[in-house]
Amino acid sequence: MISKELREEVYKCIKCGLCLTPCPVYNLLRFEGASPRGRVQLIKKSLEGKTELSENFQRLLFTCLLCETCTANCPSGLKTDRLMKTMRSEIQERLGPDWPKGMLGNLLRDKRRLPFFLFCERTRENLFSSQKGKSDLPADSEFFRPGSKALRQQVPEVNPVPEVKGKVLYFTGCATNYFYPNVGKSVIKVLNRLGMEVILPRGQMCCGLPLFQAGGRKKALKNIRENLKLFNRKDVDAIVVDCAACGAALKKEYALLLEEMGEDANPAKELAGKVMDISQILARSDLGKWLKPVPQRVTYHDPCRLGRSQGVREEPRDLLRQIPGLELVEMAAAEECCGGGAALPWEHPEVASGISRKKIQSIKETRATVVASGCPWCRRQIGENLGPDPIRVMHPIEVIAEALRES
Amino acid sequence: MLSPDAVQKFISIVGPERCKTAREDLLTYAYDAYVHEFLPDAVLLPQSTQEVVAIMKLASAGNIFVTPRGAGSGLGSGSLAKKGGIVLSFSGMNRILEINTANRYAVVEPGVVIAEFQRAVEKLNLFYPPDPGSANVATMGGAVVMNAGGMRGVKYGVTRDYVLGLEVVLPSGEVMKTGTVTAKDVTGYDLTRLICGSEGTLALVTKVIVRLLPKPKTKRTLQAIYNNLDDAGNTVARIIEAGIIPATLELMDQTIIKALEDFAHLGLPLDAAAVLLIDVDGEPETVEKQAAVVAEFCKNQGARDVRVSQSEKENEQLWVARRAAFGAIARVRPTCIIEDATVPVSLLASAIKKILEVGERNRVQIAVLAHAGDGNLHPFFLCDQRDKEEMARVERAMDDLVDYAMSVGGTLSGEHGIGIAKAKYLPRQLSETSLRMMRAIKKTFDPQGILNPGSFLEHGL
Repeated sequence: MISKELREEVYKCIKCGLCLTPCPVYNLLRFEGASPRGRVQLIKKSLEGKTELSENFQRLLFTCLLCETCTANCPSGLKTDRLMKTMRSEIQERLGPDWPKGMLGNLLRDKRRLPFFLFCERTRENLFSSQKGKSDLPADSEFFRPGSKALRQQVPEVNPVPEVKGKVLYFTGCATNYFYPNVGKSVIKVLNRLGMEVILPRGQMCCGLPLFQAGGRKKALKNIRENLKLFNRKDVDAIVVDCAACGAALKKEYALLLEEMGEDANPAKELAGKVMDISQILARSDLGKWLKPVPQRVTYHDPCRLGRSQGVREEPRDLLRQIPGLELVEMAAAEECCGGGAALPWEHPEVASGISRKKIQSIKETRATVVASGCPWCRRQIGENLGPDPIRVMHPIEVIAEALRES
Repeated sequence: MLSPDAVQKFISIVGPERCKTAREDLLTYAYDAYVHEFLPDAVLLPQSTQEVVAIMKLASAGNIFVTPRGAGSGLGSGSLAKKGGIVLSFSGMNRILEINTANRYAVVEPGVVIAEFQRAVEKLNLFYPPDPGSANVATMGGAVVMNAGGMRGVKYGVTRDYVLGLEVVLPSGEVMKTGTVTAKDVTGYDLTRLICGSEGTLALVTKVIVRLLPKPKTKRTLQAIYNNLDDAGNTVARIIEAGIIPATLELMDQTIIKALEDFAHLGLPLDAAAVLLIDVDGEPETVEKQAAVVAEFCKNQGARDVRVSQSEKENEQLWVARRAAFGAIARVRPTCIIEDATVPVSLLASAIKKILEVGERNRVQIAVLAHAGDGNLHPFFLCDQRDKEEMARVERAMDDLVDYAMSVGGTLSGEHGIGIAKAKYLPRQLSETSLRMMRAIKKTFDPQGILNPGSFLEHGL
């Protein structure tokens, strides 16, 4: 069901076109159906019953990064991204998910199926050399390569410190847990050094963002409810996330979604107030004395889910600047989407990598040796499109952890 | 309707990806920034002059209607397929072909977005002045055929003043070059300037040569804040009369200020009745001096405060907000019809008074924006197109406004063009002789009448 407010929202579009050129997808494809203005028109016509949810309609609606650039640029304040997300779920509810989305739903709503699937994918790669690099797993991840383990299998549930100055819950998200355990270990290491006890609640589920971005709102309810139950604890100072996407889900999307679905959004709002990106919690502390000089040139890419969704732009930069000797250089249009948004790299890989080209060029122009970004999907997209360039793709917390002096 | 055979032939020219016939795609080419919608039968997205030639040969052989389209930011249905047929979208022909610094000209394809072109030449210390409010959306080709004006008109003129030459494809498919790259050219009739402003009824522009200026060294933006709309209008007339030529001289009333502030959060004065946004540009010393003179001038005319921007960034933010005015006004009501009647600048204050009176009489909410230095008014008629009764009142208010503009020697349209929005008023301004000449010109270029059918010249025929 689409709420009355959102139904009225489509009439706010006056078709001025200011959303066209900032849209990464339109900029690449250059036809109106690939623009936010075009998609709003289609949603409007569909709500008015003047067009079907045809295959082409769905294709146009899903050729979108959900990067929220249009929403940020719309002078009439149209919530284009909310409309897009709601319409996507309308499609799934009325027509059922196509098989990849259906499978995604099955995997992400169950705690055991996802690791099993990933294990199979990697095994296929490991066993058959012809399959190398053909799975959807990030090439730079050690996950399920011989001898590797998921983060939550590697570290205990509670990571205590001798002198407790604070206590945080750590929402690891799937990407950090399975693909990038080093990011998680860095988070724990740095927070521990600052005297914070870090708890990784067992039984945490996928945040659900990939599900509800694809339109599976109802399916994601299970994830949302379980996570809210597990993380709404009064005895902790904050809930820490290192993943921009999980952060956006916990801080913003949960409450909006529940509201749009007519559910009780209060628990989500309560949680949202306590969720912090790792860069936000660290920006408050004086890390400088713990850090040794790292004479590197680093550039920072703003993930859509962190910059536009959460308004966190300066904190990761400030964090990196705390490292002595590190030179932070701005790339051109750091806030522009890298092409890794929503499921575009899987659904329309050629469009996604076309969008990435511009980002890669901006990165290379900085002559940095490290590109840092707080979103696993950005890191994956950038990493896979960098080519043979020896630029390291890292989470800012990994850069910090590497600079941390031995105590 | 296009025959499947014709569609097949078009596909053989541009390929299946750039020939769109699915209903969803057609729906996204049915609108511009005005209120009406017309569904085309197909959309073609050519990428070269050769493709346009091949398309037009087929179209003229089959008597198929063709309507050119840039970015669809027009305000009069000019780029819509009013009688069906093909929409020819130039968004994919968007290369800047040459920027010649030695002779200060540039050659571009029609789909280049104006603001992108401006940024490219400014990097080379050059300057392309025509600056319509929609510069971040609109294309160079669209600006040429609509002879777009904009915010710098008061000092720098309009698109027509910068177009040196064109490459066009005639409805028959022939390619014609007009003009040159030189600053002066009196060889034969000035077809360049005839096609400029022809609203896509004569030929399809496939290349544009424009002249460039050296980039002004510096710029200051002033905000003069008024408690009284009348005073703001009078200031404009006096500034022009005094021989001061600012680069821009924009007026906005309280409704516009509020909508912009709501969008951009720049600290605009919400209690003000009007703000004049004034740019002065040129050599640093001159700019300093001129800014002081203008500020003093505004204060003498009743401005309660004049703010001078302190940095390039602050200038930019103000203009980004100003450019968003049309979109931002949708925060007030869902539909906005922009008028652009233009009056002699000395009458600006009384014209604004008249507009408000017309609004009151017809019970239509009107917000006033103006490229004030040109006497170019932009009353925004705020309404909801789903309300038929309200739209009838809007129509009456438009009629009243046209009556007024005609009675004081103004023009129907300063810069948006006629399209279908003002076609019915055309005989009010143009004599039967002018119209006959115009129709004869149209016939010479397009004997079959396949290019942009249903446009302004055909009204009442």
